[in-house]
Amino acid sequence: MTQTNPGRANALEVRNLVVHNSALTAVRGLDFTLPAGGRMGLVGESGSGKTLTALSLMGLLPMGWQANGSVLHDGVDLVTQSDKALSSRRGRTISMVFQDPLSSLDPVRRIGFQVSSVIRRHTQASQQEADRQTLELFRQMSLPRPEQLMRAYPHEISGGQRQRIMIAMALACYPQLIIADEPTTALDVTVQKQVLRLLNNAVQERGCALMMITHDLPIIAAMCDMVAVMYAGRIVEIGPVAEVFRTPRHHYTKGLLDSQPTMDNIALDGSSRLASIPGMVPPLQSLPKGCAFHPRCAAATEKCRTTIPTLEGDQRRAACWHPLGAEAAADAEVKAQ
Amino acid sequence: MAIYVLRKLVFFLGAIFIASVAIFLLIRGAGGNVAAVVLGKGATPEAINALAHSYGLDRPLFVQYFDWVGNMLSGDLGRSFRTNERVADLVTARLSVSIPLALSGLILGLIIAIPVGTYAARNVGTPSGAILALVSQIGVAVPVFWAGILLSLLFGVRLGWLPTGGWTEWSVSPWGAIRSLVLPVLSLGLIMAAVLIRYVRSAVLDVMNQDYLRTARAVGMTRTEALLKVGLRNASLPLVTIVGLQIAELIGGTVIIETVFSLPGLSRMMLANVAAREVIVVQSTVMLIIIFVIGVNLLVDLLYGILDPRVRSTR
Amino acid sequence: MMTLSKSTPSAAPADGPATSGVPISPPARKRRRRLPRNASLIIGLVLTAIFLTVALVSLFYLPSNPNIPVIRNRLLPAGTPGHWLGTDVLGRDIIAQLMVGARTSILVGAGGATLSLLLGTIAGLAAAASGKITDEAISRGADIMLSIPGMVTALVLAATMGSGALTTILALTAFFTPSFTRVIRSAAMGVLNEDFITAAKLYGRGKIFVLARHVLPNIAGVMIVQFTLYFAAGILTEAGLSYLGVGVHRPSISWGLMLNEAQQQVGVSSPLAIWPGLAIVLMVLGLNLLGDGLRDVLDPKLARRAS
Repeated sequence: MTQTNPGRANALEVRNLVVHNSALTAVRGLDFTLPAGGRMGLVGESGSGKTLTALSLMGLLPMGWQANGSVLHDGVDLVTQSDKALSSRRGRTISMVFQDPLSSLDPVRRIGFQVSSVIRRHTQASQQEADRQTLELFRQMSLPRPEQLMRAYPHEISGGQRQRIMIAMALACYPQLIIADEPTTALDVTVQKQVLRLLNNAVQERGCALMMITHDLPIIAAMCDMVAVMYAGRIVEIGPVAEVFRTPRHHYTKGLLDSQPTMDNIALDGSSRLASIPGMVPPLQSLPKGCAFHPRCAAATEKCRTTIPTLEGDQRRAACWHPLGAEAAADAEVKAQ
Repeated sequence: MAIYVLRKLVFFLGAIFIASVAIFLLIRGAGGNVAAVVLGKGATPEAINALAHSYGLDRPLFVQYFDWVGNMLSGDLGRSFRTNERVADLVTARLSVSIPLALSGLILGLIIAIPVGTYAARNVGTPSGAILALVSQIGVAVPVFWAGILLSLLFGVRLGWLPTGGWTEWSVSPWGAIRSLVLPVLSLGLIMAAVLIRYVRSAVLDVMNQDYLRTARAVGMTRTEALLKVGLRNASLPLVTIVGLQIAELIGGTVIIETVFSLPGLSRMMLANVAAREVIVVQSTVMLIIIFVIGVNLLVDLLYGILDPRVRSTR
Repeated sequence: MMTLSKSTPSAAPADGPATSGVPISPPARKRRRRLPRNASLIIGLVLTAIFLTVALVSLFYLPSNPNIPVIRNRLLPAGTPGHWLGTDVLGRDIIAQLMVGARTSILVGAGGATLSLLLGTIAGLAAAASGKITDEAISRGADIMLSIPGMVTALVLAATMGSGALTTILALTAFFTPSFTRVIRSAAMGVLNEDFITAAKLYGRGKIFVLARHVLPNIAGVMIVQFTLYFAAGILTEAGLSYLGVGVHRPSISWGLMLNEAQQQVGVSSPLAIWPGLAIVLMVLGLNLLGDGLRDVLDPKLARRAS
């Protein structure tokens, strides 16, 4: 099969993706490429368009929402596909893990049935074979007593187990891409790590690409090799995780990083100097002109208020007129002119 | 599940007991001297006492209550004051009209409401969805007897296709019986449907917004497939409850429709006996109806337990 | 949109705090549903106001006596001067009868809804605020009462007390109170679980004080909406009972009673069966629309759960 070749095509090529409904535009032109087997983190505050982006890739936008642009995956443009055509891909070449595993599982069906029916839907497997594969998946997910679990209902097991079931469902047909939307937010802190580790291992073993949506930067640092930072429906900075986190170029990225508590900036005597970004995320229907971040940005100038910056650069891109760490370079440029 | 069933059974028996005490006290207590009521204003005290004695009405109330319950348990519903007929015989004769009418009305209502309500839920915010919402809103406001009158005006008087009233016994002509039930069932079913559509619509709408429906699509179902395979199963849970609650409503509708189309059903008999102050007949018939409604609700609860694994293990 | 619009007054705010004051609006899907609901509030208000006015006017003015037969005016068609909707088989004016009928509907419907609101609120609050045993007793009691068909209650009352407007109001009360109790109980439970109630209790406020000062104002919206909907249900039930002959009698007039009389003349004059039915539908529709509209305005959170 072609998709198991090392030199295979990209898992995802997103070009000018716009997601809107009759009143609002929530995602305002995304461009990025996720290579096969690559792992990308998508960060941003709530309302920045992360989840709608993910749902649009799956063709699962809520009623009234619509995607434009192009999303190349496995040789087809997902945006132009019909629901029927997309449905034959969902769960097979591209799958998704949702935030709340309790509400995401059918409450009235046994867990084993829910997972095995995914396998039966996309392969020729018999019920017996599908059940066997399901058991195997449960074992890979380190789920205790997998045989009993097959006959359990979602409300009978713990949150961490439910999310592992969801991951097993997503992995069941060896997809090329898994989208995980805040997969651990609804879980107890103690089991978050375990679930993430299992997800990480499974993704690596299968060589499938991962798109991790979260506002938790350490998770991205640990699991991804690329990160895209979203603000008000746009990617404001994208690049290799290590570089972006070490030397952010966009003021918003820097703000996000500075507002993360670490052992260094938390003082037990109460004199913490944890930074926060002033102001609030602007509502979608009244976005400021120019760079959407300018009302909250200390470095904003007249240009920022009027003109939207584009993503500049190759591997490392930031949409900012006054990128951090580039003042010197910019000054030189001005002088040269 | 066993504990769940047991709890429901206990509630069932308790409910019937409390309802029987309430009915007994209401009718005997609020009605005053039953024998006097039955015989009317001109009766002599001697006649009243004689009637009271022959029906055991001069005994203490609780003795009468246990006597009544004991007789009902053995199938004896008492006798009419005036005609001395056995209430049990009166009732069974009428059930061959009332039960087909009520059941077909409910089934017709569901047959209309489930697809239409699902369609309305899928088309929220569109013109067709809005029109359906308005139509069912109007339908809810139409009294069932007016629907009956209008239908009999149209199909009975104007077009002459169907009888405007009256009844042909099943034993005389099954086809005739069916013909005389068509308009009553249609009126009852249409009005039930109007009420049910709104419930179906909101149940389906609720399910459509559930995460598990999105999951079903995320693993490869189309929108329609997910709604039919996962959605309807889950939406059936609130619907079962609603149907249970609508049984009381259904009986009210049946009472009225039997009058509109002069069908000799149970409720017509009740009405006649209310007018005649036949206290014993009313008391026993009412109790039967209540047992029926509470029984249906027991079945609904048990069905719910079968459909929803969460109910089984938590309650 | 991004350039060129500098001159418009609604241009981008100059600083952060200005935007922070703007509440984030609900998703568009909800907003679209809001529009027809507001329309239903207005239509409902108009319809209800019309019928209330008619009932009020009927106290002072009627085109003619609706109870005195005038044989020479029998079955006049609609459009006859002086009897614009015609007359019935005894020559009584339809409009006059409809006007008095509005009065009966409103009296009985509102009477039943008010009494059951009162009793239901007391029982519901008691269930919500007291211990598990009281709650269980009241809730199960309501369940049992709910399984008695309202029509049956009405018939039993008519059999024992004789029929009339008062009996009908009592029957409606017996019929509606358990549902009211359940709604009020669950609404009150919702409020009692809020943090500010805990705070009030910690502050040393007594149970009655908390119920009266904190819970009642917070469930007032629910109460108003439910009142409207049961008002409508009461009118429907009253019409049904009067149609069956166990509701109100002449000289009182009810739309249901008019339909009963009209049906005996169906072959003779079908318009007689139209007007009272239309009146019932419009009045009940008006109240239901009003209730739905009010629910959206007063209690958007409950709107989705209850409907």
